[in-house]
Amino acid sequence: MDKTWQKIKKNPDLLKNYFVREKVIQTIRDFFKKEGFHEVFTPVMVPVPSIEPNLEVFETQLRTSTGKQKRAFLISSPEYAHKRLLAAGVGSLFEITHSFRNEEEVSRLHSPEFTILEWYRVNADYKDTMKDFEHLFLEIVGKEKMVYQGQEYDLSLPWPRITVAEAFEKFAGIDIETLLSEEKLLNAGRAKGYVVEPADAKALADKENTTWEQMFYQIFLNEIETKIRDSHKPTFIYDYPLAQASLSRPKKEDPRFAERFEVFLAGVELGNCFSELTDAEAQHKRFEADLAERKKLGKTDFPIDEDFVDALKSGMPMSSGIAVGVDRLVMLAADVPNVSDTIFFSDNELFDL
Amino acid sequence: MITVNAGNITKGMYLIFKDKPHLVTKTEFMSPGKGSAVMRVKYRSIENGAALEFTYKTNEQVEVADVEKREMEFLYRSGDDLFFMNSKTFDQAEVPMSLIEDQVGYLIPNLKCWVLWYKDKAIGVGLPPNVVLKVIESPNDVAGNRINAPKKTVKLETGAEAMVPIFIKTGEKVLIDTTSGEYLGRVK
Repeated sequence: MDKTWQKIKKNPDLLKNYFVREKVIQTIRDFFKKEGFHEVFTPVMVPVPSIEPNLEVFETQLRTSTGKQKRAFLISSPEYAHKRLLAAGVGSLFEITHSFRNEEEVSRLHSPEFTILEWYRVNADYKDTMKDFEHLFLEIVGKEKMVYQGQEYDLSLPWPRITVAEAFEKFAGIDIETLLSEEKLLNAGRAKGYVVEPADAKALADKENTTWEQMFYQIFLNEIETKIRDSHKPTFIYDYPLAQASLSRPKKEDPRFAERFEVFLAGVELGNCFSELTDAEAQHKRFEADLAERKKLGKTDFPIDEDFVDALKSGMPMSSGIAVGVDRLVMLAADVPNVSDTIFFSDNELFDL
Repeated sequence: MITVNAGNITKGMYLIFKDKPHLVTKTEFMSPGKGSAVMRVKYRSIENGAALEFTYKTNEQVEVADVEKREMEFLYRSGDDLFFMNSKTFDQAEVPMSLIEDQVGYLIPNLKCWVLWYKDKAIGVGLPPNVVLKVIESPNDVAGNRINAPKKTVKLETGAEAMVPIFIKTGEKVLIDTTSGEYLGRVK
């Protein structure tokens, strides 16, 4: 296989795909500067990374000339740094930086090292971020009709918005009571023909029973996300069951759900947004639960970021924040099938994965 | 029953989906909402060629279709079917084009390959790792810079196209990788 530099040397036309990244990043900067956001620059190497039960981290060691030895991690997201800054009073902010996720499959849409865009709008909630997202994306593409891999997508504003509960009802015939109950959802899944019980004695011994979360996503991806893709429009899916709240705050009107959205286009998940949890005590409890889950899953163990919790305790303004995969934005804007088609140089190539 | 862990499904496998045999044409690993991993699989029905997709939990067990390989020789194409013969028994088999569209460009008469069978029906073809094909059309060599543009696209005797070095001329034979379609060398 030719290396990227060899491919470009043979076919300089390929460069136009890579140069799309420059334009996308310039557009992002212009957009947020115009909206009055500060661009911030925070560390990619930190003493405590994000506690995400399903994400494995890259760990290294920091050693000083005087013999100090510290555990160090590459960030899987710059979110904790941003929330410290929000608590400090920086105001609305954004950052484009590199993030790292270990032990993930390398695929069309995943690379262990990737470029992430996060922005936080203060005195705002997730519905404000939906508006930010659709306006930003339209500015990146530059027109309402986007062609990606031979399919046309309608980006005209406002983009369709549907709650998770509405989507399960409309596309999968599952009502709220069923959706929110593990037993009922597993029964509904079984009736639809999904595998719920372990298939063999080994799996049974490993207690690999299907969880609520697995059934939720299996139904979502088989019956809902496919319909959204076929609509040829981008779509915001919002109000996730509290079990999928992550760092979002519960909805005031219905605390069974959390103020979180994900946005999908062309079968690609582009961003994950929360009305941020600002309650330090609730945050600490979630961290404890997440750390316990990490241990159960055999992931690298590390302490809770108490400094981050202290920052929350000191008072963080109500904010809405989102993480967006920049490589995916560039892939869509360049109309190429793989994120690696726009990266100098992909991990795939560097590490022969 | 032989099964595969859904996380290990790869393109080219034959699996049982909804009680019917299907060819895996694409796989995509996903971790929705930072949640646990799933595997999205695109299938082609080997009964009617229909395209389908399904998303599995990566720890699900999926039944592998009991597909048998028999060595045969490619004979010819007629309409939408390809004909093969067992050179020992002279038994013949036909496979619809719709089931092997990616591989048609490497099939030349008398090529030894494997015909895949499921329940006594021919459903696909397994190719050798590489094949020798004659170049039948080649653009004039681009003058000058051999370092920056050392490759060109040529047409092969099967109608398929390949990227080859500019020194390859019409009438020459080249060795082509049947998985990647890449040029491997010139054959004298």
